[in-house]
Amino acid sequence: MHALIQGVILGILTGGVYALMASGQTLIFGIMKVINLAQGAMVILGAYLAYQLFTSFGIDPFLAIPITTVVMFWLGVAVQVVFLRPLRSEDRSELSLLITFAVALLLEGIMSVTWNTTHRSINTSYANGSWTVLGYQITLVRLWAFVLSLGALGLLFLLLNRTKFGRAVRATVQNPDSARLLGVEAQRVSALGFGLGAATAAAAGSVYGLLYPFNSGSHYDLISRLLSIVVLGGIGSVGGAMIAAVIVSTSSAIVASTVSPAWSEMTFFVILILVLLIRPQGLFGTVGRGSI
Amino acid sequence: MKSLVRGPVFFGLLIVLPLFGLQHWVLNMLVFVLMFAVMSSAWNLVGGLAGYPSLGHAAFFGIGAYALGSLFKGQTVSSGYEPFLWLPVVGLIGALIGWPIAVISMRTRADVFAIVTITFLFVVQTLAFNLHGITGGAQGLALPIPPFPAATFEQPYYYVLVLLLSVAMGLTFGAARSKVGLALSAVRADEDKARGIGVPTTGVKVLAFSVSVGLTAMVGGVWAYYQSFIYPQFAVDPLITIAIVLMTFLGGRATLWGPILGAGILETGQQYLAYELGGSQFYLIAYAMIFLLIMLFLPRGILPTLVERLRRRRSSAAPAPAPRMETAA
Amino acid sequence: MRFRNRLWHAGPAGAVLVLAAALAACSSSSDNSGSSTGSKAPLVIGASVSLTGDFADSGKAVKAGYDLWASMVNAKGGILGRQVQMKIVDDTSSPTQVVTNYQNLINRDKVALVFGPFSSLLTVPASQVAKRYGYAFLEPAGGGPAVFDQKLNNLFFVQPAPVVKSGDVFADWLLSLPAASRPKTAAYAELDDPFASPIAESIRARFEAAGIRTVYKEVYPAETQDFSPIMTKVAAAKPDVLISGTQSEDAYGQVKSLVQLKFSPQFMFMSNGANSPVEFPDKVGPGNVNGIMSAGDWFPGSTATGSAEFSAAYIKANGGSADTIDNSSAEAYATGQLVEAVAKQTGKIDNATIIATLHKGTWPTLLGDLSWDANGSPNGSFHLIQWQGGKLVPVFPAGVAKASPLFPKPGWGG
Repeated sequence: MHALIQGVILGILTGGVYALMASGQTLIFGIMKVINLAQGAMVILGAYLAYQLFTSFGIDPFLAIPITTVVMFWLGVAVQVVFLRPLRSEDRSELSLLITFAVALLLEGIMSVTWNTTHRSINTSYANGSWTVLGYQITLVRLWAFVLSLGALGLLFLLLNRTKFGRAVRATVQNPDSARLLGVEAQRVSALGFGLGAATAAAAGSVYGLLYPFNSGSHYDLISRLLSIVVLGGIGSVGGAMIAAVIVSTSSAIVASTVSPAWSEMTFFVILILVLLIRPQGLFGTVGRGSI
Repeated sequence: MKSLVRGPVFFGLLIVLPLFGLQHWVLNMLVFVLMFAVMSSAWNLVGGLAGYPSLGHAAFFGIGAYALGSLFKGQTVSSGYEPFLWLPVVGLIGALIGWPIAVISMRTRADVFAIVTITFLFVVQTLAFNLHGITGGAQGLALPIPPFPAATFEQPYYYVLVLLLSVAMGLTFGAARSKVGLALSAVRADEDKARGIGVPTTGVKVLAFSVSVGLTAMVGGVWAYYQSFIYPQFAVDPLITIAIVLMTFLGGRATLWGPILGAGILETGQQYLAYELGGSQFYLIAYAMIFLLIMLFLPRGILPTLVERLRRRRSSAAPAPAPRMETAA
Repeated sequence: MRFRNRLWHAGPAGAVLVLAAALAACSSSSDNSGSSTGSKAPLVIGASVSLTGDFADSGKAVKAGYDLWASMVNAKGGILGRQVQMKIVDDTSSPTQVVTNYQNLINRDKVALVFGPFSSLLTVPASQVAKRYGYAFLEPAGGGPAVFDQKLNNLFFVQPAPVVKSGDVFADWLLSLPAASRPKTAAYAELDDPFASPIAESIRARFEAAGIRTVYKEVYPAETQDFSPIMTKVAAAKPDVLISGTQSEDAYGQVKSLVQLKFSPQFMFMSNGANSPVEFPDKVGPGNVNGIMSAGDWFPGSTATGSAEFSAAYIKANGGSADTIDNSSAEAYATGQLVEAVAKQTGKIDNATIIATLHKGTWPTLLGDLSWDANGSPNGSFHLIQWQGGKLVPVFPAGVAKASPLFPKPGWGG
């Protein structure tokens, strides 16, 4: 029982981080109908940037977030403009998959040249600290990570629901043609949306670097988990991605604590298959013509 | 008909090639090129003809590799040809596993299908690590060492792969001329309409997928036998999927020769780059840049683009005939 | 789709052209370097090493070791009057590429000798290629059981003992303690990896036979990133000794987790990860390392043959200090030392001679004196090393010990 609850705590805390990563991914898919296979690589890039700021200038990774998110935002916009915009719309859904994967490889290559392939982790002074609450361990970094993720997601929510840009984004997700008729510039929204996705990856990266050792090849594991979360949550739904992330992380942690760590890796996938069998559009996705 | 001549000429060339006393390293490279040619051609059935880009084919490569490994676990071979004789069984295993996967995942459209297939890939990799009894887990699985003489070691593998390639290409060729092919291109163009007019969309998609992964599994078996020792992270490797997808895209999806061309260019290129430039980490960057350039400037792949350019040049020279349908697929 | 379009001849013609071009390009660039019979011609030694991919860090250390040896031996006049040229290629940590690389090295570039790659995963398929063409296969980094199960007489693992045995020295020491000081209970946290769990299992077999009760055992998969679930259970079982069958990342993960859980066993052995002189304290915190034990073959300050020379030259070429030298470099260097020794003893340096000669007697290297059985498995044993005062020191057996073993393990420093 103790192990179970400890697992739940771990899962919820970790879920926050994955929620942040997945929210960017699902946003990009919702706006552009592009599966961004480079999301994992962008998170790792964010982690490296935070690492560099920490080791060179002593900036705490949490405090580095405002810097890294801005940098990565413009990187995301650049990627969209250079690599995705030139695609013709009939090619887009097929080729974007490969293009984003190629971007992921490119990022991996650049990261491995710049920082070589030694595993890094951001070791702040509080990296190993933990509190004991009612007999359960709560690691400090995970707690701060969770709080930060909530904060970032809150900001994202405000952005999407209270700003003109956010409204444009939501309109494009729901019905791109009508949105265009109403004057929303699809291209601009796409570029900014991609940038936003990259920015969330940067924020998640700072946190990721604190929690786990990473190197340029770490993005493969990440992307497979993110994809499962996005499908579970429902493509295009940021709220769905958040809930799905917590569900998946918690299930995984519970299985790890109670059954065995080996099978916890499969939890993501089992959930995905179940979702697709029972409710293919995910928890909060919409069923539309030509979509799942 | 020209197409009926090109095929046999090509295969005739392939068959006599090793007899010219080619060096071992060349044959080794050809074996890998053929492996990817077969897999790309097989992938083309699903990703090109049917329009469903599967990102999980590497899972079936691994399934084939482990299937052959399990069949021969702890055994020795006398002539060395026994594993090849069991390849059809391996292919059948792949197809049988692929069938339900196709039924489940092809309820969704292309994008989510890609996600499901990539997820399946990671599931299979996890299973490969965890099912120690069958796969040996992280310790790997040994296959029997074939008693082929060193001088002609690569030849049996080479010829088996040539045979598999002829099967894959034959199927693609035949599909183009049959009802199945028509159904597939209907699915690719507009699936809902196709279903509306009574095309058996699910049946034909699942068939294409099962055949495709069955072939892929057989290549996996050949690879396992060639390597003589397999590990989960290499037998079930996402980079294999990406390679075959890219090769098919490069050569031209839904074309007969496109995947072969793509495999020829990319596999030799990749091995060359890794061998010559590998010392520096720029290898990965070079590879990625080539991918991106191909995607941006040759989105239809080499063959269809060439065909279109040549056709345009011819039709600008002579008066244009009545407008025809889009040639390149 | 229009297969009947006559312009489709572009396809097969293109495919053939590409093949032909590839063949032409590759065959024209092959030269016969290294295979000439003149005694002053360079001795080209080929090796496929992981310079990119998962094994890149250790792969680069191996390359550094090979290169260093080559320059050292050339400064002394080369081997039998021939200057050594290392031809090192990258296998991107892929077994497919490693097979191709050795094919190319042996059959295209026609190197005289080959050295092995990094890790058993790559050594196994590579050694088959070497065997097929009669090449000796001296390899510094493939010591898993699968390597020796192949029963190849051309293969020699250049380390004191097969990797599976690297925990034995810890078991030897612990069981030599007087009964009152010995631990009563043990927990095992093992990575599912050909190098990690067999080591822990080997120790467990001996401990259980000696009456040390196993209170917890867990084998976790390679992708595990969160060690809290596992280490929570370890801590709950309160073992006297923790044996961790690890590689690097999981070793760091386990220690960090234990620190967070505030559990410190009296004895702790980690098969890998804890033997990285620079990485380990960097990743887990310098105050947390003391008392942790591991196994090693080379250590700074070793007096084995050629060790001091190696240290000095390494520091000169690569900077740092003796404590930052990766063991993989030392093992790679030892590989070269063996070739030197064979040449000196027999006056010849072809593959058949190497294979025949190394199977007899013992051979001095900076890892100690090495000898092998018929399958290439070495007959010696590792040293037990321990973190003391922030540095790794050998503590057992007495012959190589620089300090006494420290126990019980001090608590976590923070």
